[in-house]
Amino acid sequence: MILIDCPNCGERNVAEFRFGGEYNPRPQNPDDPASDAAWVDYLYLKENKLGVQKEWWYHRAGCGLWFLAERHTKSHAVEKTYFWEAAK
Amino acid sequence: MSTKTKDAINPESQIQNPKSKIQNRLSSHPSHKVDYTRPIEFEFNGKKYTAFEGDTVASALWAAGVRVLGRSFKYHRPRGPFALTSGDTNAMVRVGDEPNVRPSMKLVEPGMAVESQNVWPSLNADIMSLTSYGSRFMPVGFYYKAFFRPKALWPTYEKVIRNAAGLGYVTTDTPDTYYDKKYEFADVLVIGGGPAGMSAALSAAKTGARVMLLDENPYLGGHLAYERQSVDTKNGGAKAYELADQLAQQVLAHPNIQVELNTSVFDIGYHLWVGAVKEGWTNTDPDSIQNPKSKIQNPEARLLKIRAKSLVAANGAFEQPLVFENSDLPGVILGSAAQRLMHLYGATPGKRAVVLSANRDGLQVALDLLVAGVQVSVVIELRDQPDSDLVTVLESAGVPVKTDSIVTKAQGNKGVRGVFVSQAAKELPLSPGGIKAIRGTKEFVICDLLVTSVGWTPATGLLYQAKGRMDYDEQRAEFLPAHLPPKVHAAGRVAGAHSVKAELLEGEMAGLNAAADVGFGKGASKKLQNEVAKLKAAEPVRTSALTYIPGGKKSFVSFDEDVSIKDVRDSVAEGYKSMELLKRYSTLSMGPSQGKYENANTMALCAEANNQTIPETGTTTGRPPFTSVPLGALAGRHMEPVKYTPMHDWHIARGATMMNAGLWKRPEYYGDPAAEVVGTRNSLGIIDVGTLGKLRLYGKDVPKLLEMLYTNKWSKLAEGGVRYGVMCNEEGIVSDDGVTANLGGDEWYMTATTGGVTGLYQDIEWNLQSGWDFDVHAVNMTDDYAAMNLTGPNAREVLQPLTDIDLNNEAFPYMAARQGTVAGVPAILMRIGFTGELGYEMHVPAGYGLYLWETLMDAGETFNITPFGVEAQRIMRLEKGHFIVGQDTDALTNPFMAHLDWAVKLDKSDFLGKPSLVRIQKRGVEQKLVGYEMLDSNIVPEEANQIVVPNPDRPIGLETIGRVTSSRYSPTLEKSLGLCWLPVDQSEPGTEFTVRIRGELHQGKVVPIPFYDPDGKRLKS
Repeated sequence: MILIDCPNCGERNVAEFRFGGEYNPRPQNPDDPASDAAWVDYLYLKENKLGVQKEWWYHRAGCGLWFLAERHTKSHAVEKTYFWEAAK
Repeated sequence: MSTKTKDAINPESQIQNPKSKIQNRLSSHPSHKVDYTRPIEFEFNGKKYTAFEGDTVASALWAAGVRVLGRSFKYHRPRGPFALTSGDTNAMVRVGDEPNVRPSMKLVEPGMAVESQNVWPSLNADIMSLTSYGSRFMPVGFYYKAFFRPKALWPTYEKVIRNAAGLGYVTTDTPDTYYDKKYEFADVLVIGGGPAGMSAALSAAKTGARVMLLDENPYLGGHLAYERQSVDTKNGGAKAYELADQLAQQVLAHPNIQVELNTSVFDIGYHLWVGAVKEGWTNTDPDSIQNPKSKIQNPEARLLKIRAKSLVAANGAFEQPLVFENSDLPGVILGSAAQRLMHLYGATPGKRAVVLSANRDGLQVALDLLVAGVQVSVVIELRDQPDSDLVTVLESAGVPVKTDSIVTKAQGNKGVRGVFVSQAAKELPLSPGGIKAIRGTKEFVICDLLVTSVGWTPATGLLYQAKGRMDYDEQRAEFLPAHLPPKVHAAGRVAGAHSVKAELLEGEMAGLNAAADVGFGKGASKKLQNEVAKLKAAEPVRTSALTYIPGGKKSFVSFDEDVSIKDVRDSVAEGYKSMELLKRYSTLSMGPSQGKYENANTMALCAEANNQTIPETGTTTGRPPFTSVPLGALAGRHMEPVKYTPMHDWHIARGATMMNAGLWKRPEYYGDPAAEVVGTRNSLGIIDVGTLGKLRLYGKDVPKLLEMLYTNKWSKLAEGGVRYGVMCNEEGIVSDDGVTANLGGDEWYMTATTGGVTGLYQDIEWNLQSGWDFDVHAVNMTDDYAAMNLTGPNAREVLQPLTDIDLNNEAFPYMAARQGTVAGVPAILMRIGFTGELGYEMHVPAGYGLYLWETLMDAGETFNITPFGVEAQRIMRLEKGHFIVGQDTDALTNPFMAHLDWAVKLDKSDFLGKPSLVRIQKRGVEQKLVGYEMLDSNIVPEEANQIVVPNPDRPIGLETIGRVTSSRYSPTLEKSLGLCWLPVDQSEPGTEFTVRIRGELHQGKVVPIPFYDPDGKRLKS
């Protein structure tokens, strides 16, 4: 079981967290018919990266905060975790 | 003969207390883990035997002369212990109702009933063993080749195969029990309590690190515990078992070291998450730990989940068997197994022994056998120049040592009665290939014991799991750690250190480095590291590259699965050339020991058959479990939480049949659900809806939040209003529904589905924490509020006297919410109508739930109040045509398909799923959820029945065009009605369709919904 470093609570077992998927911001002007491709991309085409991935985690059995983690998808090394404000 | 030699071979010089001589046992000795003063009676196959405390099943039976404990998996050949270790799964037994127990690990307990497995009708006369006498053995891949055709016969084949090939059986009437688990934490986790492990633990502990030391045996010491020769340490010489005890005392006394014995590590996961099973975990008495003679093992096993900050693998090596004809015969045992029998358990290994040796360990075993009074007929040495000091001692005791020699075959029926030995044709040292005998040099030697010591396989399985890489050292014929990930260290035999001095120093080095990894101390000095490297480089080779003696027909590489040398070659010839394919096809290393005693030989044979080197062939992936683990220990306790509403006990007392709703329990019905419907519709009913999801929302921006969450509009919902809404995900799929009330003063109250609320709350939080810059605070109150719905034409009359809220229809209309008190309890009331009747859904703090419920029951008595359950509610909601998210909708349902066009406001600037719904609306939908009634009201379809049309091209002449998702008989309308999915062009009211119910076709027709009270007069009255 891998460890996730909650920016609020520290390192905890991954079982305490809910995985929130890749960091995948909603496209601008999604209603614009010209943005069909961008919308499909947002909904369905996940990058599924081999390497360091930016992704969402929710500390459900802890502080109840969502944060971003940069995790290597093969080694599971969690390199950085931070709240959304810091990602902007 | 020198004095020293006399000492070494004279049994009397080793005896501590000559009077304690026990029949069938060697004189007692301080290295023994058995206590001759504490006999234990137990049974094997119905016959009584005597063991002593500290005995394993294998040692006790061996001492009593029982060597055959079971039959092999495929050919039912007689089998017995050969290694006496955790990896010895050669003849597993049944103990009580527990199958597949390893006899070499199971300590004997009083009254224990042990049985053989895989024998029919009995151990001594096993009919399946006749498979060995056929013209040829079952070829490799036999089951794959023989039983795949015809397919229809497979169930029959399976029965036969299961009977023939089973390993034990499971009793299903075993009383229920549970296994506990325990979370542990360590700065430095040391696996293995041998010299390297204990040394690592001590050096790490001295830096201040918190150390945990695990060993699978009930004592510390590793190989030192079963060895009696003098060993060299940096502080001079010592007897091996005495050194074990000295180190163990230091380890057990150290306050920084937690020792867990009887503990087998089976998994090393990411971030050093280590899984281990501890058997008999209750024993924590430090005085008795090194002296298992005095304790009875608790049969319980406990799962340890250990989070280590750094790790030292010091889990040793497996002694490597040599493969030759009949090397699986009971009585062919490893050198270390002979030492374990004599030195741990005081059991005589045999009367007349032949020793097959390829290293110093083999010669030492020959000496140990002499000391124990075993006649050693000859030592067959594979090497041309064995260690001269030991050879001299042996020869002076009259034991011939034949160099450049091999054993070609073991002879015997249910045990060894002799072996064939020959001169080797090739010069030694040996290549991975086999070695031939020189013709005409064959000789038969009578013996009842063949002891083999030809080398060691480092137990690298756990290091592979930790993502380490091993490289093959051709000179030493061992796979040794070449690259280990950060914070993982290896020491001792697993890392190729064999002399005790090297093991101790490497352990010390690894312990210091592991502690330094986590901030304790500075790590091992350069001097220590150099010394370890020097010692290891100077060590003699211990492992013969030779893996088998050619020529035999029944030469088994795998005892677990009865795979022979020929099978390996045939598999490679058939194209299964890589180790991974060879393993799967031949089942090598897939048996109970997971190949511990066969992997090295398999690799060598595979390399030879492919004409490759061993590094080119490579190894298989090491996966958990590394060792046998009771499934119960993995399953642990039943830990699923259950939620009860405050009225739960009332429901039970009232005889309710309960059902699961997520984690909750809810009454499904109290008696007859149809009567509950009628009682409610005609007068008054009450239902516990406490399992509903409930959120309180605070802040001036709640309307903005609701606009984003729901598909319909919320900005204009005035104080005191309540509104129904549907939520979608970004794909435009219906995800939840419920009502939200504006309580005034920037306070709102939201209900959601029982199963959906946890995710909904988390998603709201995600949005609020990732960019929705709203002034909103959301609190999940699901468990904090009790809720009940008082519904029926008489609801107002019963409720008004109990509340300060004016219930008059104008003052508190349909789809309004009010706060006030009911029976003195602060409550939120909402006039909503899932049942289709006048109704007040009341939410009160959970502590008042039962009180209010009972008060309402009393108040409603004059109107024959009917408590009703989920079933009656389902009927009533269906009569109203309401769908249920997740029952009538699925992961492809958008609101336009579910008659929810009215609730989707695409003119809102944005909401979750809007971009998808805009596109879906343009594209149109193909299926619709509609109401139907059956033409014959006595026919009630089952939910999920298919709606079909004739199509001669389909297998049964029918094509599925839709399905029924809700179906009930309506006691109110006396009709069979429900909801179903149909193609859009067949969804207009009046359209007839055919539904297939249990193979029969019945007619239904689409009708408008709601079925009941279409204008909502009853709701609004």
